[in-house]
Amino acid sequence: MTDLRTQIEQIIESEPVALFMKGTPAFAACGNSQRALSALRGAGAPVTAVDILPNPHFRQELSALSGWPTIPQIFVKGELIGGADIIEELAASGELERKLAEALGPEYRNGRDERVVELEAA
Amino acid sequence: MAASDTARATIRDMTTATTPLRELLAEAFPDATELEVQDRTGGGDHFQVIVSSPRFAGLSLVEQHRLVYAALERPLADGTIHELRISTKGP
Repeated sequence: MTDLRTQIEQIIESEPVALFMKGTPAFAACGNSQRALSALRGAGAPVTAVDILPNPHFRQELSALSGWPTIPQIFVKGELIGGADIIEELAASGELERKLAEALGPEYRNGRDERVVELEAA
Repeated sequence: MAASDTARATIRDMTTATTPLRELLAEAFPDATELEVQDRTGGGDHFQVIVSSPRFAGLSLVEQHRLVYAALERPLADGTIHELRISTKGP
């Protein structure tokens, strides 16, 4: 099995928009994860959600990798965009849509539906 | 304990919860033009911080928030801060 660090790196590098959150889009287990998800949905982002709750190592490894201590964390094309506060701020100013169009192309909304990927503990 | 004593004690606890965070931020941002720490829920572990500083000039929001996280590294690591909302403003 691929080790945890590599799994996380692969998701960050290969998914257009990766949202590491507590819970899933169907049932966010934390208000901040819900805030981030709503902001991304509002901008029409093709979200790939990853639940970090099933195993405490998921969050530890993610934060060690990103140097960002809190959840949620949002990456666009491999770049950390921020947590819930930043995403909300960018969404409110219209900057989020501009960023997504710049990173993913102007047709990013037509990309594909929301998806969920799961990490596997080693 | 009388009801008024309980109320006083609660107010004191709320103040003490934000004080150490305010001190850490004041140390990290001595030139801050605005520095606010709010205990969002009154429970002493969900905080909103607002920092305005010339140090944020030219930095992305991610870089600005990283500076705030760095200032609050200890209370974030030891669990004092369960949830943190950050609002930063440049000059």
